[in-house]
Amino acid sequence: MKNKLRVYRAMHDLTQEQLADQVGVSRQTIVAIENNKYLPSLGLAFKMARLFEVQIEDLFIYEDNSGSLNDGI
Amino acid sequence: MNTKTFHRLRVGITLFVLAVVVIAVVRNTFALAVAGALAGMTFIALARSKARVLIDEREKIVREKAARMIYTIFTPTIGLSAIILLLLDRNRLFYLEFIGIVLAYLTLFIIVLYAISYAFFDRKYGGEGDEE
Repeated sequence: MKNKLRVYRAMHDLTQEQLADQVGVSRQTIVAIENNKYLPSLGLAFKMARLFEVQIEDLFIYEDNSGSLNDGI
Repeated sequence: MNTKTFHRLRVGITLFVLAVVVIAVVRNTFALAVAGALAGMTFIALARSKARVLIDEREKIVREKAARMIYTIFTPTIGLSAIILLLLDRNRLFYLEFIGIVLAYLTLFIIVLYAISYAFFDRKYGGEGDEE
């Protein structure tokens, strides 16, 4: 899974800390998502998409074999 | 109190409890070790209630993976240790046989506990029925 979180965060002039506060997760989680180390839950993905006023598909692009923390769960 | 302060406090309390337990073991006073551990747990519980500690979904997954890895490593290790200790010469090393029995029961206890918690969470997250 790839994502454009960093791009949308920059477009909305948000820091990782501010985005984390707004969606109710830690800054480390935002860092992990941006670096494709962690796949967010559906709920968190919707929250972020809603925050940036885009569709989930605009924010996350599905690909096989991403090697994230929660792959294979 | 934020998460960082809480983590620092927790490390401090842990070191304090460790020091108390070491002193208790050296002086051979069991009550001091228990009192130190209880005091440490109370302080950590108090600090946690005051702190706004955020446990988000990534943290939960990390904890789940760590717990699973501990189960995967720990259970076969103590199981094999139990078998080896039980197979040793029981006439000369009877105390090792006793430790082996304890470890064997501990292994069974962990496996049963895992099976019960697995069944519980399986039911909780909708794994009990076949209805469409």
